[in-house]
Amino acid sequence: MRRRVDIVSVAAGLAVTALGVLLLLDQLGVLRLSFDYAAPAVLATAGTVLLARGLARDD
Amino acid sequence: MTEAATLARDPAHGMLGGVCAGIGRRVGVDPLVLRAVFVLASVAGGAGVAIYVLAWAALPEAPGADGAERRRRLSSADPRSLQVAAGIGLLVLAVLLVFRAWGFWVGDGLVWPVVLVTSGAALVWRQSQREGEPETVVPDGSAGGRERRGVGLSARLGSSARGGAVLGALLVVGGGLVFLWLNDALRPARDVLLAVVVVVAAAALILAPWWLRLVRGLSAERAERIRSQERAEVAAHLHDSVLQTLALMQRRADDPRAVATLARRQERELRAWLNGSGAGDSPPTTLAPALGRVAVEVEDTHGVAVEVVTVGDCPLDPATEAVLAAAREALTNAAKFAGTEPIALFAQIDADRVVVFVRDRGPGFELEAVPDDRRGVRESILGRMQRHGGRAAIQAAPGAGTEVELVLERRS
Repeated sequence: MRRRVDIVSVAAGLAVTALGVLLLLDQLGVLRLSFDYAAPAVLATAGTVLLARGLARDD
Repeated sequence: MTEAATLARDPAHGMLGGVCAGIGRRVGVDPLVLRAVFVLASVAGGAGVAIYVLAWAALPEAPGADGAERRRRLSSADPRSLQVAAGIGLLVLAVLLVFRAWGFWVGDGLVWPVVLVTSGAALVWRQSQREGEPETVVPDGSAGGRERRGVGLSARLGSSARGGAVLGALLVVGGGLVFLWLNDALRPARDVLLAVVVVVAAAALILAPWWLRLVRGLSAERAERIRSQERAEVAAHLHDSVLQTLALMQRRADDPRAVATLARRQERELRAWLNGSGAGDSPPTTLAPALGRVAVEVEDTHGVAVEVVTVGDCPLDPATEAVLAAAREALTNAAKFAGTEPIALFAQIDADRVVVFVRDRGPGFELEAVPDDRRGVRESILGRMQRHGGRAAIQAAPGAGTEVELVLERRS
C-alpha cells in the first residue's frame, strides 16, 4: 500500500525548520537577525502552518 | 481536467474582473480573503494593482457553470476557511513588515489603518454573506431533541455571526480613528470626543440594569415561545396521526385484520417520527429504508404483518435494487400463501456483502412441484439474483414454512 504524504506535516515541518535554521545562523553569528526580520519570519511560519492546515484535503 | 482544477477568472461571482473569485475557486479559499490580500498589497507598495491587472489579462474567463461542491468549498461557514484566512493574514502581515523594513512603505499612518479597515470590512462582509446561507439542522434521536438542537445550533450560529460582525465593525471604526489620530486630525475634536465618551459611559452605567433585565426577559420569552411551539407541533402531529388512527380503528373494530394493519402502520410511523427519520414521500436512496418501504407496501396490499429488522445500510444501485426486487417478490409470495402468520424480513448489509432473509410460518411448498410456467420464484428471485452476480436459496417443505435467502457480494 502506497503511503500518502501528509502535506500539513510537511509544510509545517519545513516552515518550522526554516525558522530554526534562521535562528541558528543568527546564534552562530553568520547573520544578524533583527526584530524587523525575526517578527515576519515567525509570522510567516505560523501563517504557513495555518494555511497548510486549512488547505489540506479530507481523506 | 475538471472545471474546478482550471485556473480561470470567474466574473459571474467577482466584484471587478473575477480574478479573486477564480483563484479562490481553484484553491478552495474564500475569495474575500484574496480580495483583502490584494487591497493590502496595493496599499503597501502598489504591487496588488499590478498583479491584479496582469492576472486579469493572463487568465481566461471561466465558463458559467457552478456546482454544489464548489459552493460548499467556498462557503464561509466552512470551519477551515477560518484557518486559511488566519494563515493568509499572518503571511500578508509578514510581507508588510518585510516591506516596511526594506523601506517600500507609504507610511504607518496610512498602511496600518487600511489593514484594520480592510480586515474589519472583510469580517463584516463575511458575516453578511453567512446570514444568507441556509441553516443546518442536525438530526437527533428524538423529535423534541431535534427541535431543540436545531434551535440551539441556529442560536449559536446567530450569536457567532453577530460577534464577528461587531468585531468587524469595531475594526473598521478603530482603523478610521487610528488613521485620524496618526494624521493629527483628532486634535480639534478631542475635547468634544472626551465629553461624549464620559456622557456615554455614564448613561451606560445608569441604563445597564434595565438593559440586562430587558435582555433576560427577551431570552425567557423566546425560550417560552420555542417550548410552546414544540408543544403545539407535538399536539398537531398526535392529532393528525395517532388520534385519527384510533378513531379509524374504532370504526373498523369488527375487522381484526384491518385493525392490526392500522395499528402496525401507526406504530411504524410513530417510531419513524420519534427516531427523526420521518416518513417522507421521496423514494429512499439506500437499501435499508427501501426494504422497509417494500414491507409496508406488502402489508398494506395483503394485510399481513411483516416484521422488519435491518442491520447496516448501503446505497441503491442496480445490484442492490435487484436484491430489493427479489425481496419484494419473496414477501409477496409469503403474504399470499402464508396465511395470517407474520412474515419476518431480516437484512444484514455490510460494505462487501448483503444478505436478506424472508421467513414465513406458512404451509410451505416443494420447489420442484411448482409448474414451469410460474415464473415468480424461478425468474423474479433465483434468476434475478443470478443475473446481478448474487445467489438465492429457498428452503421450503410442506408444513414447515419457507425461508428465502438472498446473498449479494458487493464489489467495492
